[in-house]
Amino acid sequence: MMVVEASGLTDKGKERANNEDALLVDDQLQLYVVADGMGGHRAGEVASEVVVRSMSEFFRNSGRAARSREQEEDEEDAPPDPTLSAEAGHLLAGIRRANRAVYVQALSNDEWRGMGSTVAAVRFTDRGMIAANVGDSPIWLVHDDRIEALSVAHTVLSEGLVSERGEAGRRFGRILTRAIGVGETVRADVCEAQCFTGDVVVIGSDGLSNHVHPDEIRDVVRSESSASACRMLVDLANRRAGDDNITVIVIKVKDVGRRAGFVSRFATAITAGLRRLFSKA
Amino acid sequence: MPMVKMKFEGEPVREFWIGRGGFLSIGREKSNDVVIDNLGVSRFHAKIDSVDDRFLLTDLDSKNGTYVNEAPVTSHWLSHGEVITIGKYTLAFTCDDAPVRPGADDESPLEQTMMLSSEKRQELVARSAPKISGVEVEKEEVGVLSFLAGGSGEMTLQKKLTKIGKDALSDIVVSGLLVGRTAAAVSNRPTGYYLSYVGGLAKPKVNGETVRESVKLKEFDVIEVGSAKMQFLHKFVSKEQAGA
Repeated sequence: MMVVEASGLTDKGKERANNEDALLVDDQLQLYVVADGMGGHRAGEVASEVVVRSMSEFFRNSGRAARSREQEEDEEDAPPDPTLSAEAGHLLAGIRRANRAVYVQALSNDEWRGMGSTVAAVRFTDRGMIAANVGDSPIWLVHDDRIEALSVAHTVLSEGLVSERGEAGRRFGRILTRAIGVGETVRADVCEAQCFTGDVVVIGSDGLSNHVHPDEIRDVVRSESSASACRMLVDLANRRAGDDNITVIVIKVKDVGRRAGFVSRFATAITAGLRRLFSKA
Repeated sequence: MPMVKMKFEGEPVREFWIGRGGFLSIGREKSNDVVIDNLGVSRFHAKIDSVDDRFLLTDLDSKNGTYVNEAPVTSHWLSHGEVITIGKYTLAFTCDDAPVRPGADDESPLEQTMMLSSEKRQELVARSAPKISGVEVEKEEVGVLSFLAGGSGEMTLQKKLTKIGKDALSDIVVSGLLVGRTAAAVSNRPTGYYLSYVGGLAKPKVNGETVRESVKLKEFDVIEVGSAKMQFLHKFVSKEQAGA
């Protein structure tokens, strides 16, 4: 079991009347989610809230019932992907569940029509971590002095539909090409990585990533505790612009639990090796 | 003096000068003047030659092509203000002292989180799509481990996480006294392929150096885990084959 220290913070910024970001920090499930909602009439708030709630419910319930009817239905529309581990497949199933929940709710009320959200989710397994995302909320991994994105931005600019320099790039560059809840199905990008003691995972909304450079994020999270890093990053984004809601989750990997059983594994390896030698002789 | 300015999301703008009578090479390989470390860029992708008073951009038969103002080119005389696109990078070519055309900067970018409508998407896709006639199979670059010892053939790294170890369920099964059940794993991340140590007393090696945590794999890196010795390479496969 991975030992992590996690903290999360969301702030509506200086200019917005409401906060359309939502976050989930669940140490028991080792599940961490940021959702950035969109849609008028407070629908963005509703969408992001539904995303984090349904993700949390999905993982709470999937532990209990052996196989819920919902899970079976999900497997019918999305057969298991052989290129992914079971845990990664499970995280994607959670995202599909959130997508359906937002989609169904959006259809139920005219004020919510067209609402949607991004999702950036990280779940730790006993060997590593899985990161999955839809939209432009980033996930970074800080390892030693390097910070790298584990998420793939689904925006007009990053998918190369416009060039950054042109008029179109300025006007449409930041518009999402994929989002949760706007269609019956959604495709997330997923990444499976090993973690090491001392690694830090950072999840944010674009209110953070538009104003704070990844290198600055790396420096803050390496020197501060999770909680104070969150506070400092939100304050920094607010000082520079504060034009959007800002959300950040900082997760520090304290122990990967890999050393346990070292001696016994060593002994097992030696005996297995000796046995093989003797059996050959 | 003529120059190109290279821009990419999240990275500082970089400037490269082209001397009269000289040239500027662009590609993934370190020996280029402009190095773009991105899998979508060929090792020697394109070059700009100074010919008399003009500048000629030549695509060096790259896999993903070179674009000027969003149209594909094989060779093209550059003029001031033109934008070259290579992979996801843009390079703006400037060659005289004429003021840059003022842009419509008063129009503020959209700050609200918004989703692209399908009509607008089609319009943008149509505008940015390479205008090449004929049947073009879309190719994708994937990592491959090619056995040098302890196995044969090659293994395409199709999975997000490829496990290497003694366990029979590993994607690459290796033997060796102190090798872990899962000794190492190769993770396919947005920024490239990474080899990580997972468990066991014998740690994996890359180019002879022991890997205690994780390293990003580079073309032709030699990986040793237990009895297996493999070389990491990139290969182009059609998108369907890649199974992504």
